[in-house]
Amino acid sequence: MRLGAMFMDIFRSFFTPPVTEKYPFEKPKTAPRFRGRLHFDPAKCTGCNLCAKDCPADALEIVILDRAAKRYVARYNLDKCAYCGQCIQSCKFKCITMPNDDWELAALNKEKFTAYYGKDDDVANLMDKLAHPEPPPQTG
Amino acid sequence: MTTETLLQRATEILAPFSKGNSNPEANRLDVNIEASDLPAATAALLSSEWGYLSAITPTDLGKEVNKLEVIYHFCEGAAITSLRIHLPREDQPDIPSISDQIPVASFFERELSEMLGVHVVGTPDSSRLFLPDDWPNGVYPLREDFSIEQAAPVEPRETLPEMGRVGNKFTVPIGPQHPALKEPGHFEFAVDGEIITGARMRLGYVHRGIEKATEQRNWIQNLYLLERICGICSHTHTSAYAMGVEKLAQVDVPQRAQAIREIVAGLERVHSHLLWLGVAAHEAGFDTLFMYSWRDRETVMDLLETLTGNRVNYSITVLGGVKYDFTAEHSRAIHKAMDYLEERIRYYLHIVTTDASFLQRTRGIGTMSLEEAKHFGALGPTARASGLERDVRIDSPYGAYHHFPVSLITAENGDLEARFEVRMKELLVSCFTIRTIVDNLPAGELAVRFPRKVPAGETISRVEAPRGEAFYYIKSGGGESPTRLKIRTPSLCNWTSALNKSIGHQLADVPMLIAGMDPCFSCNDRMITVRRKNDSQTISWSQMREYGIKKYAEIRETK
Amino acid sequence: MSVLASLLSLMFFPAGISLILSGMLYEWADRKLVARFQNRIGPRWFQPLADTIKLLSKEEIKPHSAHNLLFYGLPIVALSGALTAALYTPILGFSPIYSFQGDLIVALYLLSLLTMCTGLAGWNGASRFSLIGATRSLTQLFAYEAPFLLALLGPAMAAGTWTIKDISAYAGNHWMFLAQPVGFVVALIGLMGKLELPPFDAPEAETEIVAGALTEYSGRGLALFHIGKSVELVVAISLVTAFYLGGIGNPLIFLLKTLIILLFMAMLQSMLTRLRIDQTVGMWWRFGALLALLQILVIVLLKGWLS
Repeated sequence: MRLGAMFMDIFRSFFTPPVTEKYPFEKPKTAPRFRGRLHFDPAKCTGCNLCAKDCPADALEIVILDRAAKRYVARYNLDKCAYCGQCIQSCKFKCITMPNDDWELAALNKEKFTAYYGKDDDVANLMDKLAHPEPPPQTG
Repeated sequence: MTTETLLQRATEILAPFSKGNSNPEANRLDVNIEASDLPAATAALLSSEWGYLSAITPTDLGKEVNKLEVIYHFCEGAAITSLRIHLPREDQPDIPSISDQIPVASFFERELSEMLGVHVVGTPDSSRLFLPDDWPNGVYPLREDFSIEQAAPVEPRETLPEMGRVGNKFTVPIGPQHPALKEPGHFEFAVDGEIITGARMRLGYVHRGIEKATEQRNWIQNLYLLERICGICSHTHTSAYAMGVEKLAQVDVPQRAQAIREIVAGLERVHSHLLWLGVAAHEAGFDTLFMYSWRDRETVMDLLETLTGNRVNYSITVLGGVKYDFTAEHSRAIHKAMDYLEERIRYYLHIVTTDASFLQRTRGIGTMSLEEAKHFGALGPTARASGLERDVRIDSPYGAYHHFPVSLITAENGDLEARFEVRMKELLVSCFTIRTIVDNLPAGELAVRFPRKVPAGETISRVEAPRGEAFYYIKSGGGESPTRLKIRTPSLCNWTSALNKSIGHQLADVPMLIAGMDPCFSCNDRMITVRRKNDSQTISWSQMREYGIKKYAEIRETK
Repeated sequence: MSVLASLLSLMFFPAGISLILSGMLYEWADRKLVARFQNRIGPRWFQPLADTIKLLSKEEIKPHSAHNLLFYGLPIVALSGALTAALYTPILGFSPIYSFQGDLIVALYLLSLLTMCTGLAGWNGASRFSLIGATRSLTQLFAYEAPFLLALLGPAMAAGTWTIKDISAYAGNHWMFLAQPVGFVVALIGLMGKLELPPFDAPEAETEIVAGALTEYSGRGLALFHIGKSVELVVAISLVTAFYLGGIGNPLIFLLKTLIILLFMAMLQSMLTRLRIDQTVGMWWRFGALLALLQILVIVLLKGWLS
């Protein structure tokens, strides 16, 4: 039984710098495998929708603008995403990556949490459709 | 004894009660019995010292079969005997209680009665365990015809009978909000000065209805849902689930993937025990040990981030294997981290066994003998500290533990100091095992193809989480989602021992006793009701909720 | 002293505002030292001041069944006790502002007044946590008061007077901690117990009884108790330094000596686990009192033998 078994540690700490990371003045380096925000490459997408089907958080949705011409836009909700990486596994064509440098995702309003990925004119087309929805077809 | 011999013995013991036997898997025996025979069957198993009660699975078999099923699982080594009882599908059918023989069954029976609507005759405590106080009567979540609209809140009723104030004895509430608790739970201790004379608890503050939720998600999505049951046992949950589903689909996971899963499990154990050490030290008032052990825990978390991509909730398991490979560089990183951590862990072992002021708080406190540990159904390091040799990795090896076994760590004293000692020594074993696997990583693929629809069947998988045995019962109907998933986490079994041991100790020992069994409330609960009542104003939950909604609406408008 | 000079020294220097500010400085030093021992950064220099200002600006919530006068009055009485005790002690290395025969006892009594107010406040609060905290606080008071007083009595007997000023003058010529080492140790441990610092912080055990006796306090009442505690820290350390570490000399050197004592206390705080209340009382009521009595016995014998 010793009194003060941690004495050496305490004594040494007095002469070594503290281990606290001084975020946000010094940003830590993330590991290469770290899963940051999702990025979607529309060039290889075939619209199979497996990524959206397997997402445990319903964060990813593939909007099909034109299946024959392969015009797809991905709607991604950053706030719902669990950053698990299952979509990367499910996609057979390697359209999805989660690079490790985009992880400071806090925002002050919720609009920033919905991202659209696709070819520029496809995305513009979709935003246009969302802003001006077509009236439902008349029946009868 | 081999598994076959054990199952043979169980068949003989249960022969008088059996209405039909079957062997759904090599290590399992299913015995159908009548509800009225349950106490006798349990007594027969206990008197022959065959196994311990591991879980009780309530299931609604559906409208076509028109029956409720309650399965009592007893485990001995790798053998599992399940007593299957069918009950009529009405409101509150009767089933006898076995809590008088097995104290821990009281928790399971409380869950059974509130979730499936079964009346357990003779159970000592029939108050609610997980469901909140304002849950309507007669609505049972695990029934097939349950829908969320039925669960409209009613006027809350206090389900824990008041222990009252007698003379100068009164009740000290700890939780749901209390600095001692890292997660909400409600304890009430009747104290006489500083000595505790009675203890009572209420869980369910982080109950998320996960078992029911798995039935609406496909097999792959469930991996991630189950991972998030708990932050520090996440990998064990996915391992148990993946193992069970892979057994059902009859898919062989490559050796390399199994070895990688074991490495991550070992690292998770290091993470969990270091976290626990810090928390327990903080409860004792030894903040320095808390700060240092959490500083060293950062090493493990950074290592896990390098290997799997995330510090918590690693998501490395997929059905059929693992996602990421370990290269030579990763192996070097692992060895470097293990060098540092082994030295620090030895140092912490030295401290918890020699520091005089710390020993004053842990030596001789909460002593649980071997018989008591067996009787209370303790699991994990809490049980091993009393000398009970119960470790799923050794009793019933799974995955890579066949090739890379671990050694069993027990202690004799059964007090708090023994629990600290057992956990620290387990860490040293884990570090050694991790090193061995990394140096001898088998070659092979990372993952194999896995079907989207899993063939019908049911399976049981058990893994050793840092806190004890985690029990999974998985039933598939052949579709893309499970039909029933029952999870019994180790902390639920350890509460009985902690509460019983607290009586006679001082109030100051209570946080240490609770911390000593390493509770994981998130693992227990899978609806939060918060009631705040100070003497001058009673705010009901609905009022507080309305207040919150109004307040945030105002904030949004002013923006 | 002229009225103006008295008022100035009471309100601004060395008592009053500067006492409160130096209390915050000592509290900061303590927290910073403990943090460095735990390998972390610790708070910046203005943290205790910021805490106090924040507390003073917050709403004060009174439990319904608490007695009005006691609830609002006790923080004021506690702080006044500590501030008054400071008038007789050599704080900041300056000679005590006032002194009279036997002011040692008065000063110590005023310091205990703070703890007793805390205990009473805990009883007055309507929650079980504060009641248990109050019980523990008063129990610890009984256990630590006597040995601490006896330890301070040692130098008093050696100096042959009960006046703090004269004892400090005597101690200035003789280094008491060498002459009465046992008394010094008892004084230091008693100091930590009196101030309810870890490992003797069972009355305020955060993980058991939330905040002890002061659980129900918030806003201004809590701020006043908080300031009272830091003033008590200054006063008690100054007393021990003046008696044992060479009296009052140069204010800067005095400050350094108090900081050394603070360093030692911070080290003890980091190294030890919180003791249960029965362990603190059991250990100290036996050892502490015995050691202090032993020390006094030695002094009496030596005095008798030398004269």
